[in-house]
Amino acid sequence: MGVQPVIVSAGFSEHASKRSDVNMAELMNEAIEDALNKCNCTIDDIDCIINGNMAAFEGANIPELWMTDHIGAKNKPFLRVTTGGTTGGSVAIAAYYAVASGLYDTVLATAFEQQSCGSTTVGLSSVALGEVSIYLQLGYDYEKLRRNMGAGAAIGVGAYQAVNYMSRSHCTEEDLARVIVQNRHNAAKNWWTHLKMPNLTIEQVLDTPYISYPLRFGMVTPASDGSCAMIYTTEENAKKFTDTPVYVNGVASVSNETAIVTSEAGGVGQLDPCEQLGAKISAKLAYEQAGISFPEKEIDYAEVYSPFPNQELMWLERLGLFEENTAHIQYREGITATDGDLPVNCSGGVNSTNAIGASALERVAEAALQIMGKAGNQSPKEIHTAIGHGWGGALNLITLSVLADQPRRKYKGGI
Amino acid sequence: MVKLEYIKKQYPRTRRVHGNWYLSSYQYKFNVKRINQCLEHLRKGELVGLKCRSCNTVSFPPRLICPKCLKMPDQWVHLRETATVATFSGTYAKESGDTEPRPYPVVAIRQDGADTSWLANLPEGYDFFKVYVGMPLKIKWAEDKKGDFSDIEYYEPIEDPSIEMNKKEETEN
Ligand SMILES: [Zn+2]
Repeated sequence: MGVQPVIVSAGFSEHASKRSDVNMAELMNEAIEDALNKCNCTIDDIDCIINGNMAAFEGANIPELWMTDHIGAKNKPFLRVTTGGTTGGSVAIAAYYAVASGLYDTVLATAFEQQSCGSTTVGLSSVALGEVSIYLQLGYDYEKLRRNMGAGAAIGVGAYQAVNYMSRSHCTEEDLARVIVQNRHNAAKNWWTHLKMPNLTIEQVLDTPYISYPLRFGMVTPASDGSCAMIYTTEENAKKFTDTPVYVNGVASVSNETAIVTSEAGGVGQLDPCEQLGAKISAKLAYEQAGISFPEKEIDYAEVYSPFPNQELMWLERLGLFEENTAHIQYREGITATDGDLPVNCSGGVNSTNAIGASALERVAEAALQIMGKAGNQSPKEIHTAIGHGWGGALNLITLSVLADQPRRKYKGGI
Repeated sequence: MVKLEYIKKQYPRTRRVHGNWYLSSYQYKFNVKRINQCLEHLRKGELVGLKCRSCNTVSFPPRLICPKCLKMPDQWVHLRETATVATFSGTYAKESGDTEPRPYPVVAIRQDGADTSWLANLPEGYDFFKVYVGMPLKIKWAEDKKGDFSDIEYYEPIEDPSIEMNKKEETEN
């Protein structure tokens, strides 16, 4: 089964729409410094470095060549991981594997994005240009395709998921706005977040115009500059570095079929965009490794990847924390608030801060910090088990890390 | 436009160098063998999907590889002219003639007889707020066919008896 990986620290840079005072390398350095300062560990203790961001968004490919010095990667084993929106989640899993395999003792997981450098539209179009080209080639009207893609690309497949989720669960736009208000209030209490809105109300969110039905301006994720770093190590080393180790008891990364468009202009097998079989499978795999049989009872805290409010509701259900189509009711009752029974996204979530490549790693980092009791917006509840989830674009790649303050109890099958 | 205020920190601008990244032209390579066979049928006003013999999944438009069993589907089956809305959204846009941004419906539909969805079009100017998941549609063929996707001019919404039934149930309750 390999070595049990342990998280000893997690750090962040400050996030904002324009971090005009630093470049990519300096931005990444901020988070690493924060992570090293939070535990009794220096850069000399690091045996391997894993780095990731979303390709092309800053107008620089292979950015790690530029930042080697700033992330302490000189003369050390280095691995770059990039899987779109889930980059951070994949970085976390790569760090887990590096330790679990016994190859390295202490691994630094780093992810960043500086969106103000370049054009998100160019970055996104480089993802979908092939599909768009073949649709046009096969006689699809350009104007109509532009509209269809506009709904698809600009805010991901979030709008489609929202329509189907609302049609299934009968949740209202007010319910969606309630999720936003909770997130942005939480963000105001967390030092590193981007959209800090301590006085936001549901009415204000519902007053903003639609971008794509049913998502309004006030409901969508911002584009942030920021970075995140985490330190993974063995149980033995963890004792030297910290008093509050967090055990990584299960990880999974499952890809599902694309939504809305496929290559070769073929039909899409995923008829209902909010079904999310990939999330269900990844939850099953990761919980099985962690020895969790009743996620709804055993998990105390969840950080889910939700650029759009409907996704937060959807993921909590698909990951087994709430029954299907009931998540919005839990929000009405305050179950998911910082002081509720199951606090969710106390950090403010992706909805308040989205440095794309770093976002999914930040979910794992915040989940770990909540267990350690060191989070920016710490829940008053005692947290023993937490999950950090990631989701990526049209390809529906789901990453999941299950963390706990105790090593895993039993292990059967899986990786 | 309503703007939501947030606590904003200004960071000093230190140094900045402008760069440009002109997108070049690319040569994307697609295997159009199956889709071309399907388009030939469209020219004749026929709808065909591709069935995987291994799992009986029918794809429309045809897919080269069945994602479930990694087999090459090779059995053509005829599909009905009706379809249902699988998912939809509305893009708010200001196009020529609009004074205010208005929602343009975009729909992904499932052709009856197929197990997959694809992006389709409703009649120009169709009211977005009338669209719902599960709405039945019927194909409207183009006048002169060219053997490509433009042969399907749009999907016409048709009468949905279940809507009336739902309304009746609601009043009974
Ligand atoms: Zn098959």
